[in-house]
Formats: sequence, structure tokens, C-alpha cells
Amino acid sequence: MSAAVIEQRPQHLARAVEGDPESFSRLIEPLLDHAYRLAAAMLGDRHAAEDAVQEASIKAWRKVRQLRGDVASLRSWFLSIVANECRMARRTRWWSVIKVAEVDLPPAAAPEARSDLHRALLRLSPDERLPLVLHFYLDLPLEELARTLGVSPAAAKSRIYRAAKRLRADLTMEEVF
Amino acid sequence: MSNEEFRRELNSAFDDMSGSPTSNLRDRVRAAIQEAPERRQPYWIAGVAAAVIAVLIVGVLYVGNPLRRGPSTAGVVTSPTPINSSTAAPSPSPSPSPSPSGQPFICTNETVQHPGTTPAGGEISALRTGAHSGYDRLTIEFVNGLPAEMKVSVQSGTTFVMGGSGLRTTLKGQNGILIFLHDSDLHTAYSGPLDIVTGYKGLAEVKRVEDYEGYVQLGLGINGPACYRTMLLTNPNRLVIDVQTS
Repeated sequence: MSAAVIEQRPQHLARAVEGDPESFSRLIEPLLDHAYRLAAAMLGDRHAAEDAVQEASIKAWRKVRQLRGDVASLRSWFLSIVANECRMARRTRWWSVIKVAEVDLPPAAAPEARSDLHRALLRLSPDERLPLVLHFYLDLPLEELARTLGVSPAAAKSRIYRAAKRLRADLTMEEVF
Repeated sequence: MSNEEFRRELNSAFDDMSGSPTSNLRDRVRAAIQEAPERRQPYWIAGVAAAVIAVLIVGVLYVGNPLRRGPSTAGVVTSPTPINSSTAAPSPSPSPSPSPSGQPFICTNETVQHPGTTPAGGEISALRTGAHSGYDRLTIEFVNGLPAEMKVSVQSGTTFVMGGSGLRTTLKGQNGILIFLHDSDLHTAYSGPLDIVTGYKGLAEVKRVEDYEGYVQLGLGINGPACYRTMLLTNPNRLVIDVQTS
């Protein structure tokens, strides 16, 4: 995120709280890539991930007052909404729309080409994958990660370690953090 | 496997799963936020709204009380809004239809599929049409679940081949949309008109093309290009087709 964008965030947030959708769009645009990667890892479906990010953005827009001007919490707040939306999407996946003509994304790796670690990752539940994505993939600081999960830093650390141990049983705490 | 290898391989696996977002995600999100309904207002507004609804319900119950009706009350109820409804029987009010979403309209000849439910068996109980700003809407309401398969496709011209008889029927408009439903029917729970001429700007006509052995096809006659989007809603189950008019 560029310095200029960071500097303008309080103004964008203030205008968004007053009801300006353009300011809110600018506020969350830098976060969309992280949000998409989080959703794709949780859902294992790129189209569903984009839908979830779109839906989460609308929900965030409606709830932007909850932030109370706290720009520092913006990313964890938005990512927690995305994670919730992914949980909702998994519950309602059966009625999702399949647009045949839009299937233009590069295909994911074929099952036989996946590593043991990749296959083990897919066997985890989305909620188990979530702390791994936040810690290893998005590289969030522990405090921010904990806010995203809605738990204490100690509990967040424990969740990351438990999930990582399910991928590689001989991992030590020091190797994870 | 070293710690570094573990991290690298894990990130590689996440990369495989997610790839990169499509280039239009940013535009999609921006459009969705711009078009999203207003944020929720403070609770006191909800309280006022609840009071207004309560007054309306009491009013409707008072006016609609059968004990107050005379012997010659039969007649046509007109609606101030340009919405036609064809239902088999009175049913609870459906949840509000969604406002226009960021979902784009599809204008090309392609098929949109909604996977239905298993076991299937959604019978059509109502067909409703309505004219809105920027689009005309057809709502197909189901009871007892959903069809096993639902497809929507566009065609040039408004001539459809009737299932069973093989006869051709031509609807109003210049282009057509065909709605195909498998494991459904239009005669068990539905007794409304089978040919609805709307007079709307986009959606000109809706007509049954087939209703035989669990297969239902509805032909839509469209004025202008057949650009549409679909939504599947629940409680009650509804398939919504919006036809773009501007």
C-alpha cells in the first residue's frame, strides 16, 4: 500500500462513515487482493471467492460505522467479514449461479500434481485453513491476526500451531513462529 | 522438510488454490457498493417502520374481514404498481425481492444453470411479472422444493417449438429467452394464465412451451436484445429473471 494511500485513509474513512460510497471503495480497494486470497483458500473455488469478496464488501459498507474511525483495525475488520461471508457461502453453496461463459480462470493444479502438503491442506476444514492463510500466506502480525479471528493473541497462536501440526506432525512451536 | 521448505511449500499450495483475482474484481466491488441499498438506519427508524407495518396489517385485516363482506364483493383487485401476479392460491407474503445487485446482465447466447435440489420436486405455484427501473422481472415461485435442474438461455427470434406437439409458437418481441426446468410442473400447484402478455418495455410475453412428464419450458418474448440476469431466492423458493430495459 503506498504512503499516499495510507495518508488518505482517515479522510476516506470519515467520508465513508458520512455515506460516501466512493470513499469507501477507495478505502477497501487495497485490501481486495488479500481478501480474495483469503476467500479462495477458505472456499477452494475462485469464482465463489470473488462472489464472497463482493458480498463482504457490501456488508462492510453497511457496517462501516462500527469501525468508529479506527483505521488501524480496518484490515482485520474487513478480513473477518470476508471470513464470515465464506462460512455463509459454504452453507448456501448449493444455489450458487454457474455462469458457463465466465469460466475463464486458469485451472488449478490437477489432483495428481499436488504435493502431499497441498493435499493435506485441502483435507483441513476452512476454519482450520483460516489461521494458516492469515499467518503464513498473508503474513499478518499476530495481534492483527487475532483481531481477524476474534480471539486473543494466545488463542490465535494456538490455532495456528494446531492447524500447522495437522499438516506436519513434527513441527515445533519455534518453527511456526 | 525444513521449516523454510514447509513455509515455501505451504505458500505455493495457497498460490495454487487462489491464483490471482480477475481484473474486474475491483470494478465489480465498486459497482456493488455504489448500487447497494442504503445502510441500515438507526433503530428508531426500524421501530417506526414496525409500527407502520402493524397499522397496515390491522387495516388490511379490518378491511379484508370476511364477516364485513356483503354478498356481492367479488371483483377485480387492481394494483397501483405495474406488477402482474398469477398464483394458484393465496400464500404467505414472500420475502422482499432483492434490489438490483451488481450482478451484470448477460447479453450473449449462453446458458445459465442453477443446480436444483436433490431430491427434487419443485412445482411452480406462481408466475409474477413486474416492470422496474432499468429492468423487467419475471418471478417463478416454487413449492415443495426446487427443480433438479434450471437453465436459462437466449435465442434470436421469438419462435419456440412446443414440447409434445412439436407445433411452433411465436411470441411478441424480437428475441427470446427459454427457461428449462427439470423435475417440475406447471399444473399441480398453479392454475393461473399460461400466456401472459405484459405490455412492458423489455419483457413482452411469457408463455408455457412445455409442461410434460416433469419437464417445464417457459418462452419469454423480449423487445430488443435479450440481456438478462438470474437469481435464486429462498423462503419461498423463487427463480428470478431480470430482463434489461436500459
